[in-house]
Amino acid sequence: MQVTESALPAAAPEMRRPGGWGDAARSNIAGLLLANIVFIIAFALLASGFTSPINVYSLSRSIGIDGVIGLAMMTVIITGGLNLALGAIGVCGAMVVGWALQNAGLPIPAALLLGLFAGGALGAINGLIVVLTRLHSFVVTLATMSVFFGVMVLLSGAAGFNALPASLLAFGRLRLFHMVSPLLLVMAVVALLLFYLYRFTAVGREMLAAGANPVAAKLTGLPVERLFVYSHALCGAVGAVAGVMVSLRNGAIVPSMAGPLGADWLLPAFLAPVLGGTALTGGEVSVLGAVLGTVFVEVITSGLYMLQIGEFWIQTALGIALLAAILLERARAGAMLSRSLRG
Amino acid sequence: MARAIQRLAGAAALLLIAAGAAQAKDVRVALIPGGPHPYFANWEQGAKDAKRDFGIAAADYKVPAKWELGLQNQLIENLSAQGYNAFLIFPGDPVATNGPMQDLASAGIPSIATAGCTKDPTPALFCFGTDVGRSAYLGTQHLLQAMGNKGTIVHFTGNLVDPNTELRMKAVERAVAETHGGVKLLQTIADIDRTPQEADEKINALLAARGKEIDGIITTAWLPSVSAATALRRIGDKRIKMVAIDHDQVVLDAIKDGYLLGTMLQNPYGQAYIGSYVMEEIVGHGCKVNAGAPFKKNAYTTRFVDSGTAFAGPNDVAHYQDVMKTVTKDLMATFKATYLTCS
Amino acid sequence: MSRLRNLLRADWLGLLLLVLGGSAALAVVRPEFLTPYNIDVILVSFCLTVVYALGQGVIIAIGHMNLALGAIGCLVAIAFGGAMEVWHLPIWLAAVFGLLLGTICGFINGWLTWRSGLTSFIITLATLSIFKGTALGITQAQPFYRIPDAVKAFGSVRWGPLPAMLLLALPIVIATGIFLARMIPGRQMLAYGGNPNAAELSGISRARVVLLAHTLSGVLAAVAGMMTVARLQNATPAIGDEWLIASFAAPVIGGAVLTGGHLSVVGTCLGVLVVALINQALVMLAVDPFYVQVLLGLLILGAVGLNRLREARLGTTAPVRLS
Repeated sequence: MQVTESALPAAAPEMRRPGGWGDAARSNIAGLLLANIVFIIAFALLASGFTSPINVYSLSRSIGIDGVIGLAMMTVIITGGLNLALGAIGVCGAMVVGWALQNAGLPIPAALLLGLFAGGALGAINGLIVVLTRLHSFVVTLATMSVFFGVMVLLSGAAGFNALPASLLAFGRLRLFHMVSPLLLVMAVVALLLFYLYRFTAVGREMLAAGANPVAAKLTGLPVERLFVYSHALCGAVGAVAGVMVSLRNGAIVPSMAGPLGADWLLPAFLAPVLGGTALTGGEVSVLGAVLGTVFVEVITSGLYMLQIGEFWIQTALGIALLAAILLERARAGAMLSRSLRG
Repeated sequence: MARAIQRLAGAAALLLIAAGAAQAKDVRVALIPGGPHPYFANWEQGAKDAKRDFGIAAADYKVPAKWELGLQNQLIENLSAQGYNAFLIFPGDPVATNGPMQDLASAGIPSIATAGCTKDPTPALFCFGTDVGRSAYLGTQHLLQAMGNKGTIVHFTGNLVDPNTELRMKAVERAVAETHGGVKLLQTIADIDRTPQEADEKINALLAARGKEIDGIITTAWLPSVSAATALRRIGDKRIKMVAIDHDQVVLDAIKDGYLLGTMLQNPYGQAYIGSYVMEEIVGHGCKVNAGAPFKKNAYTTRFVDSGTAFAGPNDVAHYQDVMKTVTKDLMATFKATYLTCS
Repeated sequence: MSRLRNLLRADWLGLLLLVLGGSAALAVVRPEFLTPYNIDVILVSFCLTVVYALGQGVIIAIGHMNLALGAIGCLVAIAFGGAMEVWHLPIWLAAVFGLLLGTICGFINGWLTWRSGLTSFIITLATLSIFKGTALGITQAQPFYRIPDAVKAFGSVRWGPLPAMLLLALPIVIATGIFLARMIPGRQMLAYGGNPNAAELSGISRARVVLLAHTLSGVLAAVAGMMTVARLQNATPAIGDEWLIASFAAPVIGGAVLTGGHLSVVGTCLGVLVVALINQALVMLAVDPFYVQVLLGLLILGAVGLNRLREARLGTTAPVRLS
């Protein structure tokens, strides 16, 4: 990244290819893949129980959930913006599903669709406010996070839904091959759909172009505002999926699933896409990178817990592992680059 | 090498069994709070004492790195993969913690909801904690009596996503209503058990704005208790009477110096001590929970055991830990006979 | 005359009007608003928040982020409290130790960001875990309680409506303002934030700018952490937990752009005040706890929206700033 930055002239943003699948992203993927393999082998050897079916199952479930949370944030990072309200929307979407199933008695598919729609609608509200007021999405979603979550607590009285249909819960508890959670497959489906969207559809490419350089995109006649609203709506809908997935893990739909104001999701939401090479300035996307980023974080977390590090020090160990891994990956990429330049 | 030793040990164990030495099963208890919090420090001591007194193989206090539901769930899964076979869990959420407990139960691992309840239907053997409504009600009564059942009070409490908060609000309202208009509840401030700074800000704002109208303060959560005690000391006000909850050093000092009437102690030590003992009996010695035991009922469950609550005034604060141990001893005396059936 | 016009076009004027108007309205509805004690409470909240908000502000100025801000504040608060309670250091020495620690933490952030060429988001996210985990590991989640009376007094004493903490917060605000507006390293930071490549071409050292901004951020976080200890009268590892969003909110409400190059110190101060006022109003007007979050969000949106409307009227808005 250092190299590309200084190699470009001052007007870098204008030069960036719209919808670019940057080299940075591609090298990131190789690096992440390698880091994942190294860590998995290391933990399998060092931490007893790391490869046990129960841990693999738990790992696959965490990867599934945090993966979708990361992908949701990714859809709005590409606009160069962000969505602090993601967690709040996810909880709201799930609560709508809970209400539809338990109070309105809707069939499962209809309830899920309704939740998806609710998440999308809340996301679209964010997008509309951003576009209409031209305020930074940070401020807008900071405020709507409080509003969405507050209204949800107000309407629900902070009471969750715990009488979900058995078939839905059974799906959440399935163990494929005795050790893989179906939530991992849900994540894979979401990832594939997003990959298809950004790679092969016009609207997806336009979203990327609008995010890469709104001014230029506008000049070329793209409906930038509308594309931004789409992105925010997509973020909300994927967030609602994540909310339902968390609920499946918990066996119930509760307002506290993402912490106060849904803020617990924020770090995993940004961490995975950024690790995976999605630029915070917008316009770039790496679905595979985000997925690998999630796997990486979850593997480290799980492995360190398995190593039985003193409970209060686990966060320190996590930080050091993360730092070491990204710096090593950086060094590896740097070495490869200099070799290819020489060669 | 390690594997060889393991095999040898296994063989030795088999031999022992064959020799007819009725070797009890090793019980490994994990005590898992919701996150890092000073309340649970006494769990560690309680677990250690129980391990020593009852010869439990392991009774370990394991803290999630952050106060997050997802992280706690992950830790539970991790520990079960590490071979812990009995769990005392503070439910991160009364409904959602049923999920991981169900996972444990399907693997034949028992759990007790400790210091807080899970909502029925729950896989937890029973709930062992403070009756929060009763504690808030008794605390308010102490306050109102000291005020001669006349005047105006305010209530500072925990977070709205925690359903205990509503129970506490209702209990305080009930105690106030019983004065038949003698005492007025001026205002309730909730959502201030997240960070000390937020609690400090809001409590001082209220004291500044309406301090003259206020005659009494009841607090029913940890941080608000600390902040309100600090605030009263800061403005040097002994006219306003206050009853707090829990045993933070700030609260105890304020009682000693006459700023507070007293505090409602909970019994974390006893929760861990008795809870670990129960697990040793159940997992190690084949006891069962007595279905016909005189469980109490609360808003969450019909299988509730009160771990005790006690009002500590100026004379008790110096030896508040003895107060807890006395409560624990009393409970312990009849616990096995009342709540367990052993063959 | 042109000075007046400049003032009228300042992007923080709308916020100033909001703060004044809001205060006036509150004072009418609730006369207690103007009591010295109440003004003190608002100013205390201002003092504590503005220091760490500027700690994030100097990072935003170069287009970076410091997610570890609260963790640094937390670690320093713990170190400050621990140094006095466990090592029995005199207050000034403990404070110097805290400042040094904050400086080192900030420097580490800057150095890693500079050397690795990675986004500061990832680096500071990792160091967040390290600093916070260390604070938790040292304390086992137990606060340090034995804070000397002089430190407690600093967080409590007020002269009429003016808290003693203003003695620290105001000079910091003014110094940061002068540093960014008038001094060469400060202007270089803003220039770099506005356009890193152009800045480097014109001879501004990237290493210097990045190291300076992150170190400064660490120092400000350290000061804020120790001020919080003085206010709370104990050093708990929960300090700094709510700084992350609040530290971004104040500068951004005050007109800062997250991509860098622009930071208004006056705007940041007003951003802090707007949020403090809204919180105060929600308490003073005895809003039902279940409505507090909703109203908080709507009022923030309303406040920044009004300010934006004024900007749009005056045509001072940048042509396209969509996201």
